Amino acid sequence: MSSMRRQLAGLVAVTTSLVLLAFLIPLAIVLRHNAADRGIAAATDAAQSTAALIAVDPNTAPGINGRIDDGLTLSVFLGDGTVYGAAGSRTPSVELASRGRAFSAASGSGVEVLVPVQGMPGGTAVVRAYAAPSLLNRGVTRTWLILAALGAALFALGLILADRLGRRLTTAVSALAGTADRLAAGDLEARVTPDGPNEIRRVGEELNRLASRIGELLTAEREEVADLAHRLRTPVAALRLDADSIRSDVDRDRVGADVDYLTRVVDEVIRTARRPVREGAGASADLAKVARDRVAFWTPLAEDDGRTLTLAVPDQPVLVRVAIEDLATAVDGLLQNVFAHTTDGVDATVNVTADGVLTVADTGGGFTDVPERGVSAVSTGLGLDIARRTAEASGGGMTIGRSSAGGAEVTLRFGAA
Amino acid sequence: MPHILVIEDDPQLRSALLRALDERGYATSSAAAGMPGLRDAVDARPDVVVLDLGLPDIDGSEVLRMLRAVSAVPIIVATARDDEQAIVRALDAGADDYVTKPFGAAQLDARIRAILRRAGGTDDRGTEITVGGLVIDVKARTVKLDGGVLDLAAKEFDLLRYLAERAGQVVTKRELQTEVWRQPYGGADKTVDVHLSWLRRKLGETAQQPRYLHTVRAVGVRLSAPEVEPDRTEPDRTSAR
Repeated sequence: MSSMRRQLAGLVAVTTSLVLLAFLIPLAIVLRHNAADRGIAAATDAAQSTAALIAVDPNTAPGINGRIDDGLTLSVFLGDGTVYGAAGSRTPSVELASRGRAFSAASGSGVEVLVPVQGMPGGTAVVRAYAAPSLLNRGVTRTWLILAALGAALFALGLILADRLGRRLTTAVSALAGTADRLAAGDLEARVTPDGPNEIRRVGEELNRLASRIGELLTAEREEVADLAHRLRTPVAALRLDADSIRSDVDRDRVGADVDYLTRVVDEVIRTARRPVREGAGASADLAKVARDRVAFWTPLAEDDGRTLTLAVPDQPVLVRVAIEDLATAVDGLLQNVFAHTTDGVDATVNVTADGVLTVADTGGGFTDVPERGVSAVSTGLGLDIARRTAEASGGGMTIGRSSAGGAEVTLRFGAA
Repeated sequence: MPHILVIEDDPQLRSALLRALDERGYATSSAAAGMPGLRDAVDARPDVVVLDLGLPDIDGSEVLRMLRAVSAVPIIVATARDDEQAIVRALDAGADDYVTKPFGAAQLDARIRAILRRAGGTDDRGTEITVGGLVIDVKARTVKLDGGVLDLAAKEFDLLRYLAERAGQVVTKRELQTEVWRQPYGGADKTVDVHLSWLRRKLGETAQQPRYLHTVRAVGVRLSAPEVEPDRTEPDRTSAR
């Protein structure tokens, strides 16, 4: 059961319990009072009707049935001390009643009703009806059990309804969350079928609208970048053709090299502009896997050059916030830097840590001048600049230093995905 | 004199293209938009059309489809898009070849000549190139070495084919970068080197003990048959089909 459903069920359990207790406890008390009142009324009826009978015909007193019910006994106390019906002693209550006053009073756990019968031979007689606790509480336990069962049934019903409501809510929210996850992972075709309460349906509709909007923006970005490539590469193409027309070999080679450099810079500008298109709605790549793949790619050249290329990566994935293509290009940039700017036989190590840090170090001569700002002073190509921009775009950065072997050491720190 | 029709909207690039093609002995004409280009391609019947995909009036891909519907003229697409999908789309739409901007005059010239050779039936290259025990089936894009099939990546195949077509010649890394990768060469670029190393592994050799791939230091690389088979060092191109 999801956390949301558990919380909803808990809330309903507490509120239902409080409502049931607030309703059932007073009801139980009232029912108990009603039962007691019924018992007392029965005792009163029995006492008064017996008193009326004796008053009319005193000779009926000896024939009085002392046990009317399991919980109701009847006694007749004559003025001469004779007791008919249920056995009983002449209590102070009986004495009080013999003075001509009818009343009821608690007696032990029960209630006694005393009715005087005046004008009897031998003085005032008293009829005493005693309602035992079994009469006063008759039906209470059964009623309470029914109430408890009803309360439990209502409680269970409340929980079932809460769970059904919770399931409906969580299903709708889970569908929303699943769609949002797919969108974040770059699946821009992901859409949710709006369901559940109105508010959640509206969120679903807005999420679908947002997904469509992201798709439209990326399409627009793609077209913009395609147009940018066209606008930048077309004049460079004209320049290259013109450079090829230069008659002097020296001048042609020099201008040609400049055009090559310009072309690489333009390519990098276009690459950078394409980043949102490559990343789509979300970027994530496994740095450990990419490092393994790229080192495997460069290993044959390392062997041909008499180098040892050592790799140290964690076994578990190291997810960083970079598109896989950009990450591979950044790692290639650093490795290419080693191959291009150190002599054959210089070894290199590639180290990846679990917190998304990649270090490429070599045993060459190192950078002649570690710059304080950026890397352009030591970057003879675009590889390091590309790597730096990739790391910075992920929320990390690049540092350049000297390896323990005295060679160059470049560290890329990537933001976690 | 072959007639080349250039359909390109950018005036500077159009002028540079016409100048470069004139210098190489082609008759040229040009159009600055898709519709006039289509009309010229039908009316003037050029030998080759160089078509820019980014045109102001109609998308170049549409021009390509329309032109292909009415004419069999060879078309070289000039595109600023270097992504594979765009290139595949252009080739599927009927382009015979493509050049990626910025391209050099020599590269365009080579592609025009290749297309003219194919169009005129003067292309003597068969579908199979043999260098020693190496047999490259160009159409099937398969390679066999001493009878066994080699598993090559797309770029490794292109690289091997390019070298095999020039077997015995030293080919510079700049040329390989330009012609196989169609990218400008930077002195520090090791793309070609690393692919050559992979190719060596798959050919069963190393830089220290080469058989087919020989590095000529500071110049480039040469593909030739092993010396134990001196009579097969020259490329033997035969038509297998």
